[in-house]
Amino acid sequence: MLESIKKDIAKIILYTEICCFSGCELIEYHPYDTRIYGDKEVNLTQIEELENRCSSKESIRFILMGDSQRCYDETEAFVNHVNTRNDIDFVIHGGDISDFGLTREFIWARDIMNKLNVPYVTLIGNHDVLGNGSAVFEEIFGADNFSFIAGKTKFICLNTNALEYDYSHPVPDFGFLNSEMGTRQDEYTQTVAVMHSKPYCDQFNNNVAEYFHYTLKNFKNLRFCLHAHEHNTSETDIFEDGIIYYGCPSINKRSYLLFTLTQNEYSYEEVFF
Amino acid sequence: MKKFFSNILTILFSIYPLSLFAQTETEVEEANRQLLTVWQKMIPRYTKIQYAGGMGLLSAGAGWNYGHNKSWETEVMLGFVPSFSNDRTKLTMTLRENYVPWSVRLGENWSLQPLSCGIYINTIFDGNLWIKEPKKYPNGYYWFSTKIRNHIQFGQRISFHDKKFTHRTVSFFYELSTCDLYILNACTNKYVRFSDILSLSFGIRIQLI
Repeated sequence: MLESIKKDIAKIILYTEICCFSGCELIEYHPYDTRIYGDKEVNLTQIEELENRCSSKESIRFILMGDSQRCYDETEAFVNHVNTRNDIDFVIHGGDISDFGLTREFIWARDIMNKLNVPYVTLIGNHDVLGNGSAVFEEIFGADNFSFIAGKTKFICLNTNALEYDYSHPVPDFGFLNSEMGTRQDEYTQTVAVMHSKPYCDQFNNNVAEYFHYTLKNFKNLRFCLHAHEHNTSETDIFEDGIIYYGCPSINKRSYLLFTLTQNEYSYEEVFF
Repeated sequence: MKKFFSNILTILFSIYPLSLFAQTETEVEEANRQLLTVWQKMIPRYTKIQYAGGMGLLSAGAGWNYGHNKSWETEVMLGFVPSFSNDRTKLTMTLRENYVPWSVRLGENWSLQPLSCGIYINTIFDGNLWIKEPKKYPNGYYWFSTKIRNHIQFGQRISFHDKKFTHRTVSFFYELSTCDLYILNACTNKYVRFSDILSLSFGIRIQLI
């Protein structure tokens, strides 16, 4: 304890000395100032790596985790655990990477997740919208709606936190969904949809829940949907049509969902670390 | 502090009626003189400008120092936060209470205040933020306020007593501060260290009266 305080004090003195106005992390204009240092557009670079890594794979194995809000220690333990495995293709963070939407929270969480040996993508959660979080998310990770193709599977990642937006921003964005239907059609044979909050939960725009699901089903061979937000493992056939919505536990439960997906079948398990 | 409030109360409840009900010319003059004296006490004693510290890129304000050795300070500051990733520049307002217990003379014109400590409440004028969660959320959905931040601060000052030109005392200060939500982040995680939640600021304070 004393040792770490001593180290901290030495660090503070060093920082103060080398501090050059705006480039310094110690300088803050407001906790919600949206001033970002370090990596930006993380999803973009990670997706590039991810697609290269999975391009020739028939079967993919990925992790769904989420709700790491203010659980940096557990997130770090998760990253260390995943780095000991060598059978994972990529990681999906289901959102709520921050707790209060503070700019520094995004940076702390990003810096932990960046230590993963495998690519990861991050979705926007309702906590990430708080304050000016959506602007921070966009700057650090990228657009709130995005897609990527892993092997022969298209993953559509969506912002579904409608309660946070008051109609100022389309959530879920059907314009995005419709435009995605026409892009890279030859490159995938099946689809998986990923979101932070599932239809009929407190965040979702439930007036369009059925149409949302209908639109997703228009994608080529929709296999299943993934979500976070509920902090517990769940498996629900919300629309009773065989398309299951799988929910992952929050990271403070020290577990995640591991999916294995091939052309004909898929399976998942909850793994504790 | 007590004196400060009693002055305000005096203005509101005694001086005005006194001047209204004054009968003779001397009574009116006396009432007006008292009124001016009380208002004069309300004139800020110092002004300051600060860089960073969670209350804007630059913030400026004025304050009053009082108490034993005038070591207590109450101040109000306004600042601005540039837009950065956001859509527009925001205005912030801060109410601060400082305590500067010691002053050490360094030669004829200089003195050092080895410790200044204080607390401040900051609000940012931003439509996206709220003091209490809006009604659209289920009760207790978000328990915290995004608009109001409570900070704690420690720092040091060095003061120059200009006896030739301005005849004012100019102090240069730096502060290390942190806020409530950062403390919560650090307390619940080993990963977030004490140095991660600090914020450095510095500025100039001019004693006017």
